[in-house]
Amino acid sequence: FGLSLPAVAVLLVALLCLDPHCRVGSAPICAHGPSGCHIPSLADLFDRVIQHSARMHSLSNDLHSEFEQYFLPSKNHIGKIYRKCHTSNILTPNGKDNAQKLAREELTEVILKLLMAWRDPLFQLHQSMAHQQDFNSFSSNKALEMGDMAHELRKGVEKVAEKMRVLGMLGNSVTGLSAAEAMLPLSDSGEAMSDYELLYCFRRDSNKVQNYLKILKCRIVPEHDC
Amino acid sequence: MRNSGAMLILTFIAILTLQAAGVSPPGKPRLTSCRSPEKETFTCWWEPGGDGGLPTTYALYYHLENSETVYECPDYRTAGENSCFFNKNDTSLWVNYNITVVASNALGKNISDPVEVDVVYIVQPNTPEHVTAVVVHDEQGPFVRVSWEKPRTADTRSGWITLLYQLRVKQEKDKEWEEYNAGMQKYYNVFSLHPDKEYMVQVRCKPDHGFWSEWTQTTYVKMPDYITRERSLWIMITIFFVFIVVILTWTLNVKRNSVKLCLLPAVPGPKIKGFDKQLLKSGKSEEVFNTLVIQGFPPTTDYDNLLVEYLEVYDNEEQELVQDGKDLSEDCMKSKSPSDIDSGRGSCDSHTLLLEKCMDGREGSGSNQHQYSQHGETRWASTESSESQDPEPGSPESANGRGKTWPVVFPSPQPQPHHHYPVGAAKPAYHSVPEILNHLSPHAMSSNYHQLNHQDILQQERRFSKPACRHSQSYNQFNLDGIDTPAPGVAPSPSLEYVEVQRVNPENMLLLRPLSDPNREPEGSDCTREDYSKVKEVTSNNILLLQRDMSHQCVDDYSQADQCTTQQPPHPCKPAVHQSNSGMPQEAIRVMGNGYVDSTVFNAILPST
Repeated sequence: FGLSLPAVAVLLVALLCLDPHCRVGSAPICAHGPSGCHIPSLADLFDRVIQHSARMHSLSNDLHSEFEQYFLPSKNHIGKIYRKCHTSNILTPNGKDNAQKLAREELTEVILKLLMAWRDPLFQLHQSMAHQQDFNSFSSNKALEMGDMAHELRKGVEKVAEKMRVLGMLGNSVTGLSAAEAMLPLSDSGEAMSDYELLYCFRRDSNKVQNYLKILKCRIVPEHDC
Repeated sequence: MRNSGAMLILTFIAILTLQAAGVSPPGKPRLTSCRSPEKETFTCWWEPGGDGGLPTTYALYYHLENSETVYECPDYRTAGENSCFFNKNDTSLWVNYNITVVASNALGKNISDPVEVDVVYIVQPNTPEHVTAVVVHDEQGPFVRVSWEKPRTADTRSGWITLLYQLRVKQEKDKEWEEYNAGMQKYYNVFSLHPDKEYMVQVRCKPDHGFWSEWTQTTYVKMPDYITRERSLWIMITIFFVFIVVILTWTLNVKRNSVKLCLLPAVPGPKIKGFDKQLLKSGKSEEVFNTLVIQGFPPTTDYDNLLVEYLEVYDNEEQELVQDGKDLSEDCMKSKSPSDIDSGRGSCDSHTLLLEKCMDGREGSGSNQHQYSQHGETRWASTESSESQDPEPGSPESANGRGKTWPVVFPSPQPQPHHHYPVGAAKPAYHSVPEILNHLSPHAMSSNYHQLNHQDILQQERRFSKPACRHSQSYNQFNLDGIDTPAPGVAPSPSLEYVEVQRVNPENMLLLRPLSDPNREPEGSDCTREDYSKVKEVTSNNILLLQRDMSHQCVDDYSQADQCTTQQPPHPCKPAVHQSNSGMPQEAIRVMGNGYVDSTVFNAILPST
């Protein structure tokens, strides 16, 4: 016959694939349940989300201090005019008691609102930082990463909420976030906020998110680290 | 009007007097720090700027960001002097506080610089509590387990605040602390502490974004005295190896002889017959080496005086060489030994070597010839030299009883490749001869070299007589100048033979005998082996230019120089040839009638003195 081995193998594969019954489809990785693969528990999900938020906050902290160090040498705070952050109209608990008084759903919603509100402004921040030559590439990369992390974090918190809903921990009062529009970072006067103001506001908001997540976690899954 | 004016003046005077008394409005206070221990309350401290000598009161005012409402500090006491404590209700996180302190006294007030504070970023927890350090005994070795508790005020359980811990350890005498990060856990195991030492331990903590707390009070812990397993293992290994080394040493010692034999194989001593090692050690080398001298070597014949003579004279250009057709080895050509010492020569240099071998090149080019002749098969049988250089050529008398050899005379300055002799003069049969003549007399050659032949012989008209046929037979090869020598290709038919000078008799006669002739019959009537040379001509330098005669036959006729005094009856076949010392070539030789001369040593061919 004279056919070599690779040729035979190719032929066999072709025959198999031509078989209509032979279909290669994608199967879920964890189709077989706990024995198949490890499904992350709620605690694991919370840990991941909290780590994400910690990373995000540290990035924002670094960027803010860099900005303050290089671009605002004057420590004269008297002349500083703080514009309201665009997220200031989101009601957020400003203390431990207030935060603990909030229900899980509300707390989750607050977190998601905040993250949602920062989706576009962070993108804008990265764009403007990348265009300016004052920033080195390292800083603009941080801004980009920060934006990505915020996006990831939001997705993660949504998954956590989903999980909690599945587990019955969350009531159905959590409204979908489709109603929450992405708000444009406009100050009272309608002007766009500067980079420094954005950084200042985001630093604060990322701290809020991290804190709220921790409270949520220790309230829902208080095994360790609480 | 007057009253107000008067009041004003009075006030002015009062102020002046007061100032003269050292009182003034208060100095500017300064907010030093604000801290929150648990992110729920916070405290601010200020330092007064100087009271101006009057009782001064301080007030702290603040307002939140983006709000104009000014509040005063709610609590001046809780936190102590010059402080303001904000309780939970008054504390808002993620909001900027704008705080100022106002100092006021009877004369005035002073306002500090405002400070912006966000409580979330000023968290500094209290120190950890209940630090304990205990020694835990483990199979690996004891270690110290340090454990503590969180500061009471920090609420980590609800997740409101996250604390990270750090501890440090050192001995009393150390300068530097060893720091360890414990993360969020409340215990830590410290290893690698030295036994029987006391250690100090301290712990502190920090929120994930904030300031480090103060170090706790020192906790002391003492390590027990123990030997680490690692150390005991090393001790055992060391003992084991020492033991092994001891055993090896003992074994080597017991077997040291065989070891010595193995490591240092015996060097064979010199085994030279007659070589006495002891003698060498004693340092007298002459005696030692004397023993190496084998008596009777080189093998001598039974002649008393053994004079070996070789005369090999070649004309560099002509091939009038009386030689036989024996093959001449090429390599002989090449070996040249310009030294005048008869040692270390190549085969051609050997005085026993037949010249034929060395004649190969002659057949070749002329250059070869000269080379060859240059190579100096010109040998002079020489008397053995005395050590001293005789100004007078060593007389044969000095050569008594011992085999003497004439030193081979080589032209020390190499003659030119082509000998250019004065026209008319017969080409020297051997190129070197004229040089020799030239060089010999002017300088006394080495002691080995005796010019005796030349001068003595000349003077005394020695006659070289040949004894009976058994005696040496001299042999010359001369190429006469001007004679059409046969082409180099001609193979000399007659064989070359060497003569050896047997001795020099007191009359300064060289007694020659043929070397190659085994039959040394006393009467040499049959002298077929002897070779004769035909004198072609005599040069101005008293050089006999002989022509080798092809015939072997002895010729009865021989001429003899009248001066020759023959001690022995002149050999019928060996006319002695000698050369007179006269400078006249004509007298120089008594050529035989038929032109044969007996080839002898040509010391005669010396410049006349």
